[in-house]
Amino acid sequence: MKPNRRTFLTQTALGVAALATAPLLPGCRTAQAIPGQTLGPNHRAGHWLRGPLPDLTHTAPAETHSAEVVIVGGGIAGLSARRWLAKAGITDVLLLELEEKTGGNSAAGQNSVSAYPWGAHYLPIPDIRNRELLDFLAEAGSITGYNQAGLPLYNEYHLCHDPEERLFINGHWQEGLVPEIGVPTRDRDQIRRFFAEIETLRQAVGTDGRDAFAIPLDHSSADARYRNLDMQSFADYLTQKGFTSPYLRWYLNYCCQDDYGISLEQTSAWAGLHYFAGRKGRAANAPGSAVLTWPEGNAFLADQLRQQAETPTCTNTLAFSLEQTETGVRVLARDLARNRTVAINARTAILATPAFITRRLLGKAAPAAAPQPLTHTPWVVANLTVDALPQGPGVPLCWDNVVYGTDSVGYISANHQHLHDSPQRVITFYKPLTGHTSAQVSEARKRAYGTTREEWITEILAELETAHPSISQHVQEIDIWVWGHGMAAPAVGALWHSNRTVQSQPIGHSIYFAHTDYSGISIFEEAFYSGIRSAQAILANRQSTAL
Amino acid sequence: MADEPTDPLAASKTHRPEGESLNSFQILLLLSVFVIATCGLIYELIAGTLASYLLGDSVTQFSTIIGAYLFAMGIGSWLSKYLDGDLLRWFIRIEILVGIVGGFSAPLLFVLFEYVASFRVVLYGLVGLTGILVGLEIPLLMRILEHQLSFKDLVSRVFTVDYIGALLASVIFPLVLVPQLGLIRTALFFGLLNVLVAAFVLYKFPQTRPYRTAQGMLIGFTILGLLAGFALAERVMTYTESVALQDKVIYSQSTPYQRIVLTSNAREMRLYLNGNLQFSSADEYRYHEALVHPAMQANPRARRVLVLGGGDGLAVRELLKYPALRTIRLVDLDPGMTQLFRQNELLLKLNKRSLLSPKVDVVNADAYTWIRQDTARYDVVVVDFPDPSNYSIGKLYSTAFYRELDRVLAPGGVVVVQSTSPYVARRAFWCIAHTLQAVGLRTFPYHVHVPSFGEWGYVLASRTTERTGWPSPNRLNLPAGLRYVSPLTLRDMTTFAPDMAEVPTEVNRLNNQALVQYFEDEWSAVP
Repeated sequence: MKPNRRTFLTQTALGVAALATAPLLPGCRTAQAIPGQTLGPNHRAGHWLRGPLPDLTHTAPAETHSAEVVIVGGGIAGLSARRWLAKAGITDVLLLELEEKTGGNSAAGQNSVSAYPWGAHYLPIPDIRNRELLDFLAEAGSITGYNQAGLPLYNEYHLCHDPEERLFINGHWQEGLVPEIGVPTRDRDQIRRFFAEIETLRQAVGTDGRDAFAIPLDHSSADARYRNLDMQSFADYLTQKGFTSPYLRWYLNYCCQDDYGISLEQTSAWAGLHYFAGRKGRAANAPGSAVLTWPEGNAFLADQLRQQAETPTCTNTLAFSLEQTETGVRVLARDLARNRTVAINARTAILATPAFITRRLLGKAAPAAAPQPLTHTPWVVANLTVDALPQGPGVPLCWDNVVYGTDSVGYISANHQHLHDSPQRVITFYKPLTGHTSAQVSEARKRAYGTTREEWITEILAELETAHPSISQHVQEIDIWVWGHGMAAPAVGALWHSNRTVQSQPIGHSIYFAHTDYSGISIFEEAFYSGIRSAQAILANRQSTAL
Repeated sequence: MADEPTDPLAASKTHRPEGESLNSFQILLLLSVFVIATCGLIYELIAGTLASYLLGDSVTQFSTIIGAYLFAMGIGSWLSKYLDGDLLRWFIRIEILVGIVGGFSAPLLFVLFEYVASFRVVLYGLVGLTGILVGLEIPLLMRILEHQLSFKDLVSRVFTVDYIGALLASVIFPLVLVPQLGLIRTALFFGLLNVLVAAFVLYKFPQTRPYRTAQGMLIGFTILGLLAGFALAERVMTYTESVALQDKVIYSQSTPYQRIVLTSNAREMRLYLNGNLQFSSADEYRYHEALVHPAMQANPRARRVLVLGGGDGLAVRELLKYPALRTIRLVDLDPGMTQLFRQNELLLKLNKRSLLSPKVDVVNADAYTWIRQDTARYDVVVVDFPDPSNYSIGKLYSTAFYRELDRVLAPGGVVVVQSTSPYVARRAFWCIAHTLQAVGLRTFPYHVHVPSFGEWGYVLASRTTERTGWPSPNRLNLPAGLRYVSPLTLRDMTTFAPDMAEVPTEVNRLNNQALVQYFEDEWSAVP
């Protein structure tokens, strides 16, 4: 049909109108148009390990190394073990790491705007009884000294700057994450009562004289009164105690998702309470609730751990077999960069790998105790570089920013610890793909790997748009990281009514274990102490054989 | 905009029974009256608000604008008798015109305010034109409805709807429109409504068929224009910051860091950064003499000075009155600012070409990042940052930052910090003093009166372990020609009246940002 003059003009006019009004319409920018990439742990190599092995065990290794101790896995636990051994003067240690960089869940990236985390991103200031941790922090420069009362003075650049947290609720950004704006009095009373109860539990001591809730959690009291809390879900516990407020329960569900990647209904009540009551930090220059954080997140701590020892680390190296020998252990590993197999003969090995990898590595040598299936929630983390963050009324951008009622656990501002302001910033968005059953979890994992970058971007921007209208137009770059096995989840019964401690018992005097999977709670402190414990066990054994 | 080859109205007309058609015809036109009435009052309110924004004295502005507007409506009503022939066509034309004139009135006035000499002529001209057009609307409509209703019913219905529309306008204008849309978008929005009434009448009434295309195009373009204006409203606002400024804008520039605006009147020049007054040339000497000379007198052997902030070069001008100084390093974030004060003739006269002195080394960098890397030592550090009105500036007033200052201080060195108003923001002022004390510095708080700012405070600080302190009156060696600082004023500066006297405060740390909270609370209480 030949357009007549009238239709031509009207169509032109409509076209011009559409162009002129386009900036008014949110979400016009397509996900494909935003530059960036998808990253993630080397899950293909990891799955290669889980699947049928190519017959590498029979090919002669290209090289054979020997070491007194070989550490498999360069996450926080492995790095902590390595550091402890180095401090004890054991220099013949070799660490094997699958990824390009050590650090595990404390991975980080960097662009021209800021460094940013890909996983763990803060450390609450520790209990002053955690001497080893304090010493490490002092060595890392995060503690600058102690006052007369023996309380640590924290480096102000490492303490999370104010303003720390905000919550978008009822159309308004409020200060803090505990819902306040528009919350009815009855709910507020419950919230107050909950925190009073937490304070009691924080001080509580069991019949054995130990703290009811401690970090590392193996220092917690064995008193059944507390440990039995592990047998019920946090949700049931709350209902039983009359905590029915949807606001309180939303907040606690958020906390479970944020720290454990699972819901209120799945989390063990003991673990849910430990999240709060286990925190006993004290400082000379900060409140007990203070946290340490860096633009790159806990990659700062991982780097410090790495730098505090000089023994060699082999990255891009996939250990795929481990066997006991007469003199100790023999590890076969694939050098992924040069595509060849290497063998390492060592007196002892520390397996600082997740439990499911460890079982795979050990093969027949695995301990007889039936392994308890551990839930590892998949996570999606996105780093968005934005040139502005348009927002509604209320508190300005904080370090931690959460939107009430959404699936994600919010985002942090990676620029927060910068000392200069810039309109350009990086925000790190976290989303656990929580599933209620193990089938749902593997479904979520498949979804995590199957979803395209464009689909993630659309999903993430849709969520951010609720609190930041027209943010899509301000996004300059989005990188996505998919964690297939985010971290161990302390589900009901997983902490005190499972074989988690049995699983971490050394095999003979040659194979030791270090990982947060054996503590059930995936936090820096647990990894740090589990690394130290394995190193200490090796040292003790070494001493006894020397005598 | 319908552009179907066949006219759907032609078809629908044949289906519509006579009596009902008359009814809906009336209702539709009365609905138009309602929209028109709302729009009419909104334009009046916009003009009044704008005039009091821009010209001040709201009672006079509102009263004369309303008077002029109503009078113009009277002229419009009188003129309506000269309009004959196709009344619907006239009505459509007038609606489009009202939409254009009324809709663009606010953006036009904002933009023109800066550029025309006799703004009042434009303002009243626009008010008059809008009034005349709005005045034409109701008489025309009444004539259109003349044969449809009895006179009694006609007058009663039209005026009822008219006044209800006015009530709606007067309620939603202050409560919804101004806070949500702002003046410019409100005007454009109601312009759009007027044009939509025109479009509606055009397409609802079969009599308009002969000229539908021509008028339809006009309506289309007007809607486009109004929508474009809607999209650009934000830009128009930033373009016209002189709304807040009373004087003529002689220079304005947006740098990546801030918006610099320089205004002048017969008496003074004023510099605004992001709309906040930085100085007035009439009394800035008080501020800058008080900032620099106590510190320089406290450390008479000073050779090296560091100035943080102060890209206007006015503190440096005072420093250059000490010939013994060898180097002055100025660190200011914004190259646009230091460049302006090195190039603009008026400003060079004001800062006495201070930034061009061979002794002065200008560094454009973020002060915090820069000082952490600096290894030099200074005898005097002058800190002239913006007030701690947000969390990123608040970091520059923290214990962590003051520790860095302490580190770059040479033995016997002193620091002076501009510390906001101890009268308005009493806790903020003393919080700065206490923060300096918390890092082991001895503090000497003082204040001066700067007419354009009010009561203003500073804190001089030296190391507790050293003897340097507030300059003793018998060892003063002030440069000649100072207009404010003298031995006598130096003595008075350190006395604080009870309404500004020391109050207990928290110490400002990076992890509590207590100062920003104090500052916000105290300054927001100022009307």
